[in-house]
Amino acid sequence: MKSSFLMILVIALIIAGLGIISIYSGTYQKEGSLWQLTYQRQILWVIIGLVCFLIISFVNYRPLWDWTYVLFGVAMVCLLLVFILGIVRLGAQRWLRLLWFNFQPSELVKLSVVVFLARYFSRKSIDDIGLISSRLGMFRGVLLPLFFVGIPMSMIIEQPDLGSGLMVLFTFIAMVYLAKIKIRYCIVLLVILLVPIPFLWQMLRDYQKERLMVFLNPNIDPLGAGYTIIQSKIAIGSGGLWGKGWLGGTQSQLHFLPEAHTDFIFATFGEEWGFIGGMFLFVLYFLLVRQGIVIARRTRDQFGRLLALGISVMLGLQIFVNIAMTMGLAPVVGVPLPLMSYGGSSVVVTFISLGILSSIDRRKTMF
Amino acid sequence: MRVNLVIGLFVCLFLTLSTRFFSLSVMQGEEFRELSYKNCIRLLPQPGARGRIFDRHGVVIADNKLSYDLLLLPQSKNETESTLSSIAGVLGTDLARLRINFRRNFISSSLPVRLVKSLTLTTAIALAQLKTDIPSIFIQPNPQRTYPFGKLACHVLGYVNEIDHWRLTQLEPYGYKTKDIVGFGGIEEKYDYYLRQEEGGFSFEVDHRGKISRTVGFRLPTNGRDIQLTIDAGIQKVAEDNLAQQKGTIIIMDAYNGEILAMANVPGFEPSIFVDRLDPMAIPDMFNDPNAPLLNRAISGMYPPGSIFKAVVGAAALERGKITKNTRFLCEGGTLVGDRKFPCSSIHHSQDIIAALTHSCNVFFYRTGLLLTGSGIYDNAVRFGLGKPTGCQLPYESSGFVPSPFWKQVNKFKKWFDGDTANFSIGQGYLLVTPLQMVRMMAVFANKGALVTPMIVKAIDAKAITPEKKNTSVALNPETIEYIRQGLRGVVSESTGTGHVLSGLALTVAGKTGTAQAPGGQSHAWFVGFFPYEESRYVICVFLENAGSGHLACVVARHVLEGVISGKFL
Repeated sequence: MKSSFLMILVIALIIAGLGIISIYSGTYQKEGSLWQLTYQRQILWVIIGLVCFLIISFVNYRPLWDWTYVLFGVAMVCLLLVFILGIVRLGAQRWLRLLWFNFQPSELVKLSVVVFLARYFSRKSIDDIGLISSRLGMFRGVLLPLFFVGIPMSMIIEQPDLGSGLMVLFTFIAMVYLAKIKIRYCIVLLVILLVPIPFLWQMLRDYQKERLMVFLNPNIDPLGAGYTIIQSKIAIGSGGLWGKGWLGGTQSQLHFLPEAHTDFIFATFGEEWGFIGGMFLFVLYFLLVRQGIVIARRTRDQFGRLLALGISVMLGLQIFVNIAMTMGLAPVVGVPLPLMSYGGSSVVVTFISLGILSSIDRRKTMF
Repeated sequence: MRVNLVIGLFVCLFLTLSTRFFSLSVMQGEEFRELSYKNCIRLLPQPGARGRIFDRHGVVIADNKLSYDLLLLPQSKNETESTLSSIAGVLGTDLARLRINFRRNFISSSLPVRLVKSLTLTTAIALAQLKTDIPSIFIQPNPQRTYPFGKLACHVLGYVNEIDHWRLTQLEPYGYKTKDIVGFGGIEEKYDYYLRQEEGGFSFEVDHRGKISRTVGFRLPTNGRDIQLTIDAGIQKVAEDNLAQQKGTIIIMDAYNGEILAMANVPGFEPSIFVDRLDPMAIPDMFNDPNAPLLNRAISGMYPPGSIFKAVVGAAALERGKITKNTRFLCEGGTLVGDRKFPCSSIHHSQDIIAALTHSCNVFFYRTGLLLTGSGIYDNAVRFGLGKPTGCQLPYESSGFVPSPFWKQVNKFKKWFDGDTANFSIGQGYLLVTPLQMVRMMAVFANKGALVTPMIVKAIDAKAITPEKKNTSVALNPETIEYIRQGLRGVVSESTGTGHVLSGLALTVAGKTGTAQAPGGQSHAWFVGFFPYEESRYVICVFLENAGSGHLACVVARHVLEGVISGKFL
């Protein structure tokens, strides 16, 4: 069916377009040519992403099955390299310098973890064509994959990038659940993950603790971590029903809002386009995630099904967490808004993921 | 089916977002719009005070004074301009300079700009009266370091300054930020984490005229913790006064617990120049001064100890049975080691260990040193704590250097000759020590056998702190210590002793003088001793850089002790 390819393409392009105009709006008043060029760079990233999307959607996704471990390995090596020669920016070591741009390996890790889990849970037994995942025991169904996902996850959290790490964790939980692992093992997994939380709290960086505390009450630290949340809420709220119009936002234009073009781009967008514009964006995002799940449901290949589900869940979670954080519903953790936030790695990897979705749908009847 | 549940979950999540969005932008939209149109959230940081530093009796050596800063909230360009001109009127300064200050210190439109620093109280009051007309100005009390005694103990204290790039990269994980005021050198640097204050502040709403209409959030600033030193300000002052213009250092330490009562260094510096910044050239001049006024000579300077070291050599030889109390060597004004003549200060004739220490006879110690051999002296020097930092709680402590035949072989590719041993045994040659190491070495004879760890911080926030290292025993025979002590007493009590000038005081003093040859310049003058002799409690070290004979150090030591006695400090 052609329609899913077209639908994904059109929705993604509209969202990316809205992202670009918001980035323009969030940065054009800042001084320095570097800021002026931000939106142009984003256009370049969207074009590169689009090319990747087109190529991948026309190519069979099955080779991913064979290349899973290579992909996983490359992602892990990139992550290791970040520790050795990564660039420190905004107090975190998350980027790798590649040729002329900075690459954020944690974005690649998110995708490779999904591919890895899809392959892991879609193996079939030799004497029976049925899936084995529903018959997997505690160790092979939960603990072993937890181990493999836990390594890159803890490395990402150590960078420190709590947001991306948690994204990987949530996606993992969702995929275990969707892979039809016995429900009691899923519950055990949740318990395993919940019990050490008080201990992990001790290991968090001070600024991470502070952010979580501030989430509960932004006014305890009005000059530091709470400031962004307060300003972001003001930006979104002041947009009202119809918004202040493009380039009309005062919060984002006058630099009251930090990170107006990256993690907090939704606040910039919401201020200028109001509740109506924001709901339009919600619907687009919802359709995109729903399309992914629809594709998963009509695919007969188990690998393809899990892959499509994983990608959809990953996208949906990032969208939710990011927007919830700008509205003060979730703690401020660094999660970009897919397709909108400025950042090459995120844009390109998201387009690649969508390309995989489209490719899965194209070949759903081959099995 | 499980997929349905996930879809359901996503529908719920999107509904949650929509509801929240609706409530923020439609229900509370008006309120937020008001807030944003007025751009009305302003932040006003309020600094806490850095911890104070006391001497052992609670006299404040480093205090905080309130200085007043003028802050201005950024407004529209025209308003800012008119505000600046009226401020310039009150201050009587140039409008152009205020404009430059405003632009230079601008951080963000929500943060006030620090326009003028360190106002006097009267100008601050005059400016505060402007506030009725211009509500966007703030007079902020800002605690700043002040030093009631000026230069006193400046090297122990260190100074405060804006954080530099290197420290920032090291300290960022501990919450340090650019423009933070941190300690440099001394206690200020080592205990910065404790002394450091924490910034608090307000966030508040202002109306269109910049008047506060409502406080939104508040966080109390916290003051840094106070530190009590073991230094006695009175003794410290006596010591510094007696050094006057002479480059050098004076240390007085308790021989039993290692508490440093005085650590004076000359030349010193005024730590307040980093706070007040009245003279723009004062700081660069000081860094370029060849006399190195910032150097804490007592712990960072490395010098040859000269004859002071003979106490170590003598003790080692007695301990190892190389000599006994009755061993005598004949001094004829010099002796041949190999085929080179090594000189003595005069002709002492037959000397035993006690007499040799009293007269500082080189020949006796050349001979003794050769019996011990180079590596034997090395082993004992290390036992007396030379060659490594003493661990005295101050940063930038040098370790000094103790040579050994092995070191020379490996690093210089040369054999260790007997001449090297001879030089080594009178504290010359490659050997380098810090004055504090000498104090610690002398304390071994004062307290009869323990190598103490010097300490300078007594308490943090009235909680006594325990030293990082415990005292260790040097494991000397009581007789060995007794003989050396008699020799050291002879230095002062005998009329032929090199430190006889120190006799006749209300306190009985024992100790050792030293005249250490320094490369390219006059000799360094040393006196390291302890008092009172009978129940030795305190160690004193006087070190004068390039001053000449050790006799001069004894004279200074006498003045210091007279000052201490007449001031009834001990």
